[in-house]
Parts: sequence; C-alpha cells; structure tokens
Amino acid sequence: MTSDLPAWSEPFVGEGRSALARVVPFGAIDREWAIGGSDGSGILVAIIDSGVERDHPAVGGRLTRSVMVDISGEDPEVRDDPGGIDVVGHGTACAGIIHSLAPAAEFVSIRVLGPDNRGKGLAFAAGLDWAIEQGAGVANLSLSSRSEALFPTFHELADAAYFANVLLVSAANNVPGPSYPSLFASVISVAAHDLDDPMVWFYNPSPPVEFGARGVDVDVAWRGGGRIVATGNSFAAPHIAGIATLIRAKHPGVTPFEVKAILAATAQGARKA
Amino acid sequence: MTDEPARGLSPDALALLEEIAVRLEAARRLELGSSESVLRSIVDATVALFQAEAASIALYDPPTDRLVFRVAAGEQGQGAIGLSVPPSEGLVGYVYTTGQALALSDVERDQRFGRRYAEQTAYVPRSIVAVPLVDEHGTIGVLEVLDKRESETFSLRDIELASVFARQAAIAISSSRVERDAASLLAAALGGLLGDQSGARSAQVEEIAGAATAALGRDDESGLWALVEQVARARAADPASIALVTDLLAVLARHAERTPRPRSGIGRR
Repeated sequence: MTSDLPAWSEPFVGEGRSALARVVPFGAIDREWAIGGSDGSGILVAIIDSGVERDHPAVGGRLTRSVMVDISGEDPEVRDDPGGIDVVGHGTACAGIIHSLAPAAEFVSIRVLGPDNRGKGLAFAAGLDWAIEQGAGVANLSLSSRSEALFPTFHELADAAYFANVLLVSAANNVPGPSYPSLFASVISVAAHDLDDPMVWFYNPSPPVEFGARGVDVDVAWRGGGRIVATGNSFAAPHIAGIATLIRAKHPGVTPFEVKAILAATAQGARKA
Repeated sequence: MTDEPARGLSPDALALLEEIAVRLEAARRLELGSSESVLRSIVDATVALFQAEAASIALYDPPTDRLVFRVAAGEQGQGAIGLSVPPSEGLVGYVYTTGQALALSDVERDQRFGRRYAEQTAYVPRSIVAVPLVDEHGTIGVLEVLDKRESETFSLRDIELASVFARQAAIAISSSRVERDAASLLAAALGGLLGDQSGARSAQVEEIAGAATAALGRDDESGLWALVEQVARARAADPASIALVTDLLAVLARHAERTPRPRSGIGRR
C-alpha cells in the first residue's frame, strides 16, 4: 500500500508517517490519562447524516432522538423524525463506529439527506445549528457543502460550535475546491489511513487535514439491520469522533481546542517529554 | 403545434423559428454526440485501468429530479444505460448529494442492498467505488466502478484514481453545457426580436420549437441524423477535407432547395 498513495492519506501512510513525530511534547499526557476507563457516558453525539437506524444492533439502543430538516417552507424547520430511519445506511455506519469505541455515549440523529432536502447546504446548516443548540458534546459530519454562498453561514456555525463547547469532527473531502465546514480551523478534519486498527490515529501538523484514522475496509453497520465493508474518509471521521467522545467523557472540562491537543498528544508517533 | 400561424406570429416568423429550432436541435445532437463520446471513452478507460466488470456515469437530470445512467462500459455495464435513481436514495444518491467518495465491498452479504442495486443497475456487484463528478457549481453526477477482477475491494488509491477520471468527465460535461446555454440564450434573444416578450408568447415559442424538433425525431430514418453524426466525427478531419465536404454539401443543399421533398420534415411543414 505504501507505494500506492492517495494524496490526502499520504502523510498517514508508510514513510510519510516519519514527518508526524514533530508534535510538541505534552508532558504527562498519554492515552491512559486521556481515555483510560472512559466509555463515553454523559456525552451526547450528534450524527448529521442520512439518519440512524434506531433498532440496528450496532447502535446499542443509544439513539435518544431523531430529527430531520424540512426545507419546504420559507425557513428550514427541524422536526421530529419518529421513525428513526436511515435513508442510505451511512449515518448508521457512523453511529455504529462511535458506539463501538464509546459504548455509553448517547446519539441524536439529524437527518439532512432524504427526499425532502437531499443534502442541500441549507438543510445541512440548519441541522448543524440545531445540534449546537442541543449542546451535543461531539458532532460527526461526514458531509460538507461546496456552496460559496453558504461560506459565511458555515463560518458562523463553526465559530458558534467552538464557543458553545461543541466539537465538530468532519470527513475531509478529496475533491478540489472549497468544502465547508471541513476546511475551517476549529473543525477536526479527518482522512483515512490504511491500518486495520480503530485505536490507531495520527496527527498531521500540516492543516487542513490534521488527523488520520481508520477508514479502509471497515466492517460497518448499514441500512436494514445489515453490515457492509466500507472505505472512505467518511468512515475515518467517526473513529476520531469516538475517541474525542471518550476524552470529553473523562475530562468534562476540556474545550474543543484542548480535545484537539489531547488527540494530537496521544496520536501514533507523538513525542513524549 | 398547430398549423395556425394566426397565433400572433407571421408565417415568416414561424418559419424562421422553426429553422432556428432545427439548427438548435442539430447543434444539440452534435454537442450530445461529442460529450457522450468523451464520457464513453472515460468509462472505457476506467474499466480497462481497474480491470473492472463495469463502469458507468450517472448525471443529474433536473426536469425528472433523478440521476440517469448515461454511459456504461464493461461486460456487466450495458444494462445500466438509461436506468435512473432518485438522488435521495442509495449509494449513488449519497455520493451525489454529499460529494463524498466511497467504496463498499462484501455487498452481496446484504441481500437487500444487492437487490435494490440490481433494480437500479441490472447487475449485482460484489464491490463498488462511487465518486462524485464535480464542476465549479457543485456535484453534477456520479462515476461508479464495479468489481475489480483482481481484488475483492477497492483501495484508497482506487478512490483517488476514479476521482481523476470523474474530474475529466465533469470538465467534458460542463464545457458542453456552456454550449447549450449559449443555444438557449440565442433562442431567447430571437424570441425578443420577434416581439415575443410575454410569458404566454414564450411558451408558444417553446411549443413551436418543441414541435419542430419532434417532427425531426420522426425523420430519423431519413438519414439526416446519421449525417449529423458523421459531421460531428469529421471535426477531426484536416481543413482541406472539411472544405471539400462543405462544397459538396452546398451543392446538395442548393439542389434540395430547388426540389423540396414531398414529405418535408425539415423546417416548415
């Protein structure tokens, strides 16, 4: 695989990893301190995606609420989606990954895809706004918008999340051009590495894609109670979201920037003081 | 359309509009032929590169609000052409709406997925990579590659390679859309020149143009569109050959104007 590198994963694969050891030493911070004994309890994780299948075994009954964004009216409206459905399977895959890492965390699903809004930037922005209002500790976003017109909206939302202590974890987009909010500095942007271990993550000191996590051939939950094997950055993001959930559960006082620092300090290859 | 030129347009204006419609349709077919042949060469190359069972490109079609499979390659790909899926469903819809490239494998383990997929593409794959076609305005479609023969799954590198092909396809499509937009602008400008400002009149222009091109559709067996196809292909010919063919066509056109066909499908009817 090392001779076979896609650009966005290059820093996290093979020889590229040697450049990642420059991370500033963080003294006593290690994984035992950061996440040892944590199960994610007390943390609400928002899944902004295609929905989450409430009864899927991989979600462990941890889905507490499902909403969807309705953009048929003048203003986007967030309303309950009592069915607890996933129109694709992707949101359930993300929730399943996070649940496997942080089994006591609770989920709220914000469906921004579907027949009514199918991934329109406006629905996505309204869903993100709602997640921030709910006080989610972590929000997993496997999608982003390319709309230049929505740049200021997403910029405001990313800042609002940061100031409200909501950590945004977003999958990097490998298509050239703008992609919001995944390119904003306060957001944790994640690409896939090729190692078969959910507890291996890397910190890349060259933004915008600062973290690499498992995202190749991941056995994930899918629609209809099923499972599937999946590859892509959008399966790497929930791995980092899961670890961040463990950190936030164990250290309730830490802020999004501190979570990022702890993730960097406990990444593979980080130097110790 | 009716043959009543009385609907506010003079017979001359009507004839002119129909003539424009004919030329727009010819331009559209020329453009369609060229952009589809580029897309076809892209899926052909994709199948060869990945040693895949199939590759296809679905483009978003605003009037029907569906993703329509326009071209396909590979032994298992042909059944997909013309099929369509809603952008709110399934892997193709997800990749279209989110712009996120994905690869899935072990798909047959999920029978429901496989069945749904087969309904959509007429082939049940084991593994799929789907990447978005993105132009400067956003996502316009999806490139899919099914079943790499030498491997059970698609790698990160495969996703990136497929994305390169998708970029080529998006460039081909957006350049052809610019041409089509120019054609629409021309039609609108001509409508204005004919004093056709009101919405009702615009609808009438559309109707006339539509009726004129529908009549052309019935002329398929006439060989006209075979000629258009050849003209599209002749873009690659050297200037001397093109000049020769142009002269020959001018002679033919003069002859045709002197002796109109009994069943005139081109221009006025």
